[in-house]
Amino acid sequence: MNPAAFYPTATDYLRFLPELILTIGGVLLLVLEALTGDNKDKSSLGYLAIAVVLGAMFAVPVALANPGTSFNGMIVSDGFAAFFRMVTLLVGLFTLLCSTSYLSREKANTGEFYLLVLFSLAGQGIMAASNELIMVFLGLEIASISSYVLAGFLRDDKRGSEAALKYFLLGSFATAFLLYGISWIYGVTGATNLVAIRESLAAGTSGNSMAVAAAALMLIGLAFKVSAAPFQAWAPDVYQGAPAPVSGFLSAGPKAAAFAIFLRIFQTSFESFSSRYEPVLWILALATMLVGNFSALWQSNVKRMLAYSSIAHAGYVLVAVTTNSNVGTAAAMFYLAAYALMNFGAFAAVTHLAGRGESHVTIDDLKGLASKQPVVAGLLTVCLLSLTGVPLTAGFFGKFYIFKAAIDNHLYWLSALGLLNSAIAAYYYLRILAAMYMHEPKTTDHPEPVPGGIQLTMWFSAAGILTLGVFPGLVLDYANRFATFVK
Amino acid sequence: MDFILLSILKTAIAAPVLLGTLAYLVWIERKVLAHVQLRMGPSRVGPHGLLQPIADAIKLLTKEDFIPSYVNHVYYWLAPWLALMFAVTAISVIPIGPIVEIFGVKTNMGQADISIGLLLILGLTGMGVYGIALAGWSSNNKYSLLGGLRSSAQMISYELPMALAIASPLLIVNTLNLREIVNGQAGYVFGIIPNWNAVGGLQMFSFLIYLICAFAETNRIPFDLPEAENELVSGYNTEYSSMKFAAFFMAEYANIITACSVATTLFLGGWHPIIPNELGGQFIPTLICFFFAGVLFYHALNPARPSDRLSMGVIGAIILGLGLMFQVPVVKDLAQPLFWFASKAGFLIFVFIWVRGTVPRFRYDQLMRFAWLVLFPAALLNLLLTAFVVAAKSN
Amino acid sequence: MLEGYLPLFVFLVLCIAFPLAALLVGKALRPSVFAPAKLESYECGIEAVGGARGRYSVRFYLVAILFVIFDVETVFLFPWAVRYKQLGWFGVAEALVFLGILVVGYVWAYKKGALEWV
Repeated sequence: MNPAAFYPTATDYLRFLPELILTIGGVLLLVLEALTGDNKDKSSLGYLAIAVVLGAMFAVPVALANPGTSFNGMIVSDGFAAFFRMVTLLVGLFTLLCSTSYLSREKANTGEFYLLVLFSLAGQGIMAASNELIMVFLGLEIASISSYVLAGFLRDDKRGSEAALKYFLLGSFATAFLLYGISWIYGVTGATNLVAIRESLAAGTSGNSMAVAAAALMLIGLAFKVSAAPFQAWAPDVYQGAPAPVSGFLSAGPKAAAFAIFLRIFQTSFESFSSRYEPVLWILALATMLVGNFSALWQSNVKRMLAYSSIAHAGYVLVAVTTNSNVGTAAAMFYLAAYALMNFGAFAAVTHLAGRGESHVTIDDLKGLASKQPVVAGLLTVCLLSLTGVPLTAGFFGKFYIFKAAIDNHLYWLSALGLLNSAIAAYYYLRILAAMYMHEPKTTDHPEPVPGGIQLTMWFSAAGILTLGVFPGLVLDYANRFATFVK
Repeated sequence: MDFILLSILKTAIAAPVLLGTLAYLVWIERKVLAHVQLRMGPSRVGPHGLLQPIADAIKLLTKEDFIPSYVNHVYYWLAPWLALMFAVTAISVIPIGPIVEIFGVKTNMGQADISIGLLLILGLTGMGVYGIALAGWSSNNKYSLLGGLRSSAQMISYELPMALAIASPLLIVNTLNLREIVNGQAGYVFGIIPNWNAVGGLQMFSFLIYLICAFAETNRIPFDLPEAENELVSGYNTEYSSMKFAAFFMAEYANIITACSVATTLFLGGWHPIIPNELGGQFIPTLICFFFAGVLFYHALNPARPSDRLSMGVIGAIILGLGLMFQVPVVKDLAQPLFWFASKAGFLIFVFIWVRGTVPRFRYDQLMRFAWLVLFPAALLNLLLTAFVVAAKSN
Repeated sequence: MLEGYLPLFVFLVLCIAFPLAALLVGKALRPSVFAPAKLESYECGIEAVGGARGRYSVRFYLVAILFVIFDVETVFLFPWAVRYKQLGWFGVAEALVFLGILVVGYVWAYKKGALEWV
């Protein structure tokens, strides 16, 4: 074959522009980091990283304006990809905003943090836009490997190192499952392109039970990445041990990207035997909600509690995935966007409140926050209420659309149990609220001022939560429009 | 079926030749080193010590093999076996001549003729590090451990520039099949300069880098840190005795043969003569043989010892006959490529020994620095330069 | 396909058997006399102090990591080199991007002191 047929065109690059910007920016930061001395102030690199992420955000509509596949069907630029690119980039932006002050507080202000975030974002973007199992794997690995390092970024911190190691070992294990599934499906269908796999399976020529086994292997790998029970064991330890902004990043960004490929793979390639995996997803969703919520009830550490809550939220999204419908996909998209806002808002508050060395992260430490720092308390309240699912917040509509989609698809039991779960969840969120508003402060020391980046993040996420809580159509219409995949 | 028979036949020929070469390389090395240092070298066992390798083999076979306690038995046994196995297997894909026809049977000269020969060699020689690392670790000896670690780190560090140095001639020949690589170097620039990669192909820097890395990969002086006798008492094989020790020894020489053969194949045009056959290249083997025969006859006529009159004369006659054989029509097709390949590879092996006799050992930090900060960038630069030149030539 | 590899396997049988024979054949010939000193690990005649399974420099680990990174990169160069003439100037551009990223990583590792042994 003539290699010229495979040469990428300019449009190919436009469709890949956000990741291209992130990669080039990351490499640039790597050079700058190496060239500036070891003892220099590196926060300027953080601002540069923020600029890169903003640039990538502007590139998302450019990619969307050129829909189609590029690099021989490796990457697809569609509304779905653009949506998840935007969500992950937003999470990345929040992370960068929160981490400059965090890193100087922990005396670990090196440029590597920022570029790792950028690389991780590039990986997540590739995940969101991949139309090919090889790209899925590549994106997942780029995103994950950067995340492993980020989780252990404070390398003198025992908990952080433990978190990184656990994350790395279990993560590699899960990726091996995914890769094994990929190789298996390649053996069955002879293709790695999602659409080609679908066509090959629809033709029904090759052993379908083998394909189901492959799908099961990939399901395990992806279930780990979205921290669904019973593959959730890593999440609490990692979120608790990792630096607070990183925990926020991990719980929102890579998770959204993992859901993106989850949805894309299972609704494009494996749709022909959706009836086979639906019961599995059903159980997975319920188990995830139950494990997340019930474990969170007994936590006294706020980071750990938020980790369990993030498991529970993955369970809600899995309910939407179980419906295996366009409405469900749209609901999942909406929920993940809302979840990114509210969860990161909460983690931003924790980042600030944890104090030097993250020594104040228990619920007791939040006592009387409302009287000490009313603004922070108010913004955190908005996030927590949204996580609970109170009306007029994004979280409410997120849950609403998910359970509506579930009922529309006759998943009555799952919806009922899911609703019951959100009622349980209300207890532990309200515990924090009660601690903040109904207790006297433990100490009387003067609170530290909130750094600008964290303030910006919290205000932005609170505003986003309330806006989506009143006008959910802003995002939902978009999600509904693009919830179908090219088949 | 013929094919299987042919393979077995070839193996049957290659095995004793290889074994003999391995054994006599030790003798050659000791002789050359001795003469570099103005000594006699082995001279007691047989004429000129020629039976020394056999004596060594008997000695090693009958030596007591004692195994210290606390070694890890599985890996302790596995290590010498792995080292020797990988080292010998790698030789099997090296082509020593073109495809020839003997008695109506067409076959390649060399064991296997596979499309990814070069990758196979790289892989197998890369596996060699396992033998050494396992030996070092399983011996439960501090010297061994340090030797094994040093060796592993050194071998993997020098593998990078080596791979890059190998990649640049590949840009010119565009194949991984070793026979085709040699064929790609056929012909002569301006009809006289051989079109070998290291000469007419202008890959002399790659050749140099490859050669340096080959020294490091085979743990030879000046990169013999893993065995540094005066600080590590021969490193990873301190705790090995008898045939297990011999296995490491043989593996080292097998690796040298492989490295020199690959260098010959990749950079020195394999079996192609140095002067075009039309300009008399085909007579060079004969002339060289005649020259040596002449020297030997001179010594037979003016003997230093009474026995020389007979021995020099007989050996001279054999070499004279060998020289004539290079002109016999059927044998010629087989013998001439073999001669050119063997002489090029042999010269490189001589360089290995020569360097051992003249160059001092590196310090370990210098060694690693040299790999990462000098060789690697140099190889990278060389690769890019080659890429540009080749692209400019072909587009 | 098989014709190319068959000689290799024939040779491999020899390569597996020969070292094994070399290791085993001496067993019948050589003496075996027990002495306690023969069980000790060799440390120039002095009694061995401590075990050999202790810690060693983290530098070795670092070299291994760097090797994995750069070796994977160099391995990618082989298929590129084999198809180089078909790729034309596009091949040059691709290699420049690829090696450019490699060099950035190299410079970073150098600046961070990962390539210095001492």
